[in-house]
Amino acid sequence: MNFDLVSPTTTEDLLRAIDEHRGRRFRFGAGYTDLLLDLEEQQDNELTVINLARLNDPSFTSIVHDGGEMRIGALVTASRIIADRKLQSRYPVLCQAAGQHGSRQIRHTATVGGNLCTASPAGDMACALVALRARCDILPARGDARSLAVSDFFLGVRETDLKEDEVLRRVIIPTDDGEVKTHSDFIKIGKRRSMECAVVSIAYHIESDGDDTMTRAGIAIGSVAPTIKYARSACEYLVGKRLSSLGPSERDEFAAKVVEYASPISDIRASAWYREDVLFNMSKSILENH
Amino acid sequence: MSHDNSSRSGGFGHRLTIAFTINGRGVTREIRPALRLIDLIRDDLGLKGTKPGCLEGECGACTVLVDGDAVNSCLYLAANIDGKSVTTIEGLSAGVDGPGLDPVQRAVVEHGAVQCGFCTSGMIMAIESFKRQCDTDGVVPNRERIKKSLEGNLCRCTGYKKIIDAVQSLFEQVQGADGAS
Repeated sequence: MNFDLVSPTTTEDLLRAIDEHRGRRFRFGAGYTDLLLDLEEQQDNELTVINLARLNDPSFTSIVHDGGEMRIGALVTASRIIADRKLQSRYPVLCQAAGQHGSRQIRHTATVGGNLCTASPAGDMACALVALRARCDILPARGDARSLAVSDFFLGVRETDLKEDEVLRRVIIPTDDGEVKTHSDFIKIGKRRSMECAVVSIAYHIESDGDDTMTRAGIAIGSVAPTIKYARSACEYLVGKRLSSLGPSERDEFAAKVVEYASPISDIRASAWYREDVLFNMSKSILENH
Repeated sequence: MSHDNSSRSGGFGHRLTIAFTINGRGVTREIRPALRLIDLIRDDLGLKGTKPGCLEGECGACTVLVDGDAVNSCLYLAANIDGKSVTTIEGLSAGVDGPGLDPVQRAVVEHGAVQCGFCTSGMIMAIESFKRQCDTDGVVPNRERIKKSLEGNLCRCTGYKKIIDAVQSLFEQVQGADGAS
């Protein structure tokens, strides 16, 4: 493994480094839990890693709750997400997904930005962020920042909308401070309980008012399509209904709507029909256990 | 980290200078940019207690502490320990009060939680980090939580029961000392 390393400490230096490496082979390094394995394979002697780990800019490194939104820097680790009390109470699904990511050692270093930019269909925190309808805040080497929905950020397996001269700065979750009851979880089916890449995963965040009527629903599914999918029609189906009064046929109807977004393949870890059946049953179960 | 200019590439084949603390001792080293922490620890610093297992972050044999947090040293860039504090298994047995076993090491010995020993140093570092976090948070973990904390450490000999017993005993001692039930 051989590469050159550039370690900017300010955003200004980072953007300059990106600009200078335009047209040359470079990768970003943040938590390195995926990158070092990736680079182990390559024999490229001309590769530069732009090391984000030394960056000292709060917009990349901190979690900020500011009135209408929650901003999570791309370099925030899974452990820090798990420990954040605001996130625990307002968007527990993100903490639940981060808690099932890798091992404790991996969670101490793996970053939320890395989980998004890896663009794996099995991404854990990424799945929760799609369910929460979070947005990516992207910084180009020159010009103004742009923003797009996390679900639009993914173009295919390990492929994102990030251009060669851009870097992911943070993710933003729109929020309001009203009193809501939250029903959420991240469920990951793998071959074992720990250190597993999802065979099927689902992240859901459902908010209800005092009357138990669902006012907001976000459901995302992983490992059943080339990218993580937001199950829009299933979410719309729930809003306005009461969670506690859904009957078996409504739960089936809801689960069928979720499955419509899946286009699973058979691979070394599971067959397509298994993934689809499990997804149907998982979807029903989230309405049963509340 | 000293570069001519940190935002500019030093060119291929250049070396970096990093300053860090290893087991309480400050050191400065010149390294290749792509050097992994495990190779720095074992080959450069000669501390062979940190074990190379899978070298892909699955087994946890190479676990060390960076600023108190357990990390896989096989997936950690050595350049990023600049300005940080690294603790390996050798740093525990050095002891605060002179050479001797650290409480985690003692608990592992007393519970017979070792067979071939290959996973042991990584296991102990993972327990050490978990224990510190529980103490900071004022939490006494149950068995499920202890198991969860060790999900990144594989042991192919013991079947884990004695390891988990050893971890649990650490928290019972704390409770006893406090007189809490």
